[in-house]
Amino acid sequence: MESELYLDYGTPYHRLDARTKLIVFLGVFVGALMFKNPIWQLPTAALVLLQVAVSRSWRNLYRIRFVLLVMSVSSIILWNFFSSGTTPLFWIFEVESMFYAINRTMTILMIVSMGVVLISTTRNEELIMGMIRMGLPYRVGFAVSTSLRLVPTVASSLMTISQAQRSRGLDLETGNIVDRLKKFLPLLVPVFISSIRNTNIFGMALESRGFGARPDRTYYLQMRMRATDWVLLALLLLYVAASIWLNIAGYGRIVGLTNF
Amino acid sequence: MKEVISMWKNTRMIILTALSAAIYAAFLIVFKGGIVIVPGITEIRPANVFPPVFGLLFGPAGAWGAAIGNTIGDLFGGTIGPGSIFGFFGNFFLGFIPYKMWGATWGLVKKGDMAPNVNNVQKIIAFEIVAFVAAAACAIVIAWYLDLTQIVPFAFLALVITFNNFLASIVVGPILLALLYPRVKRWGLIWTDIMDKGDVAAGFAKGIGAILAVVGAVGGLIFGVLVAVGAAGQQAFGFAGESGKAAVWLAVLPFLIALIVASFMLSGQEQFEEEED
Repeated sequence: MESELYLDYGTPYHRLDARTKLIVFLGVFVGALMFKNPIWQLPTAALVLLQVAVSRSWRNLYRIRFVLLVMSVSSIILWNFFSSGTTPLFWIFEVESMFYAINRTMTILMIVSMGVVLISTTRNEELIMGMIRMGLPYRVGFAVSTSLRLVPTVASSLMTISQAQRSRGLDLETGNIVDRLKKFLPLLVPVFISSIRNTNIFGMALESRGFGARPDRTYYLQMRMRATDWVLLALLLLYVAASIWLNIAGYGRIVGLTNF
Repeated sequence: MKEVISMWKNTRMIILTALSAAIYAAFLIVFKGGIVIVPGITEIRPANVFPPVFGLLFGPAGAWGAAIGNTIGDLFGGTIGPGSIFGFFGNFFLGFIPYKMWGATWGLVKKGDMAPNVNNVQKIIAFEIVAFVAAAACAIVIAWYLDLTQIVPFAFLALVITFNNFLASIVVGPILLALLYPRVKRWGLIWTDIMDKGDVAAGFAKGIGAILAVVGAVGGLIFGVLVAVGAAGQQAFGFAGESGKAAVWLAVLPFLIALIVASFMLSGQEQFEEEED
């Protein structure tokens, strides 16, 4: 896993305020959950694809293609078992349950894509500054920002340690579930130790720069909502309101579907 | 609950929150492509051993770390969705219950030796009890919400999450805690070494609080599953019947309230006693 997911492209989407991007993410999230029929999901899917294209986030989506593929295949198969319909399709599958499975898979892919667009177009500090401007206390914002920054580093060290342990004969693929869990110990301990050991130095470095000295603080990074942000938010409001209204009015459902 | 807020004024607790979240999220993400149980909702999670261990070692920082780490794991691992909202609270309880209950396990963890390690059989039993209560608490919080929103039935999900959470803890948890405690203690990073006793909630009737936590979590799980199977026709370990039934929702709600009340009754201050003695 590469340590930087931000793509420094300078597209119009990159230039949006982080608050706008966060609200767009949440808005599409809400919109994607309003319909069960995949045909009704198509406008939202088009909207997501448009954002991926404008922001040129394909590269990061391509990076996680294996995870997306595994999730899509398992989602299409398993959601069929978790729902039922009235029109037989083949074997144990019904048309309605297949539609529902496709819809769930589309929803997952859309939400993941929106997450990828958000982190591909927004620097970590902008993202957290956006959250702070929206009311998140800055100490909490710092913790979230630091963990976001550290995840790729920890994941990378996990992969390195995993390869090192495998080269010494650790076999994570065989045995029952209990055996496999036990085999994770040689991975858990080194990753934990290597991550935690510098906490005190990290703390001293922060405090020597005045972190936590005052309840509030000032920021070098300044954010400003532009006309483009407001226009986009207005369009998003219309989209979310329309999605909710259509859902309440009974559109976008699958007739004959029983799901849980 | 006081320490859950007051810890944010301590720089090292903030760093431990960030590190706990990053470690938990990294393990969740790396193993997302493993064995999927419900697509977009959950999968086999070896990383679930971390929250109880983080909770015992880092106190409230471990609880916040579990909550934030799970959300980041959902975001990067492709399972962000309606479940992520209560996934945050559920995972918070997964790290919160262990350290709150540790000193109130009916004498298993003795006064004078309340360090969060597993240097005797009683402490191992105490670890398994708090890990199981935390696993069940996490499960009923998430399953109650996802049943209410008609996404996954309570009986199925509550049992799957409890089993999923507890399996990693029962197998790997005590060993992990035994290996990590001496190092973390040497570095002065145990939460009782970092925080001031005055910043931790004093609590009241802690023994009863611990019983209420067990009743809230385990009782909620058992009673909720029974009601779900009976009134809503759901299946344990299977998708059948109806979710979003008021009977299930109302049956579990008092147990969730009991869990919250127990959180205010339990303290954690007793774990500071060792140094004073």
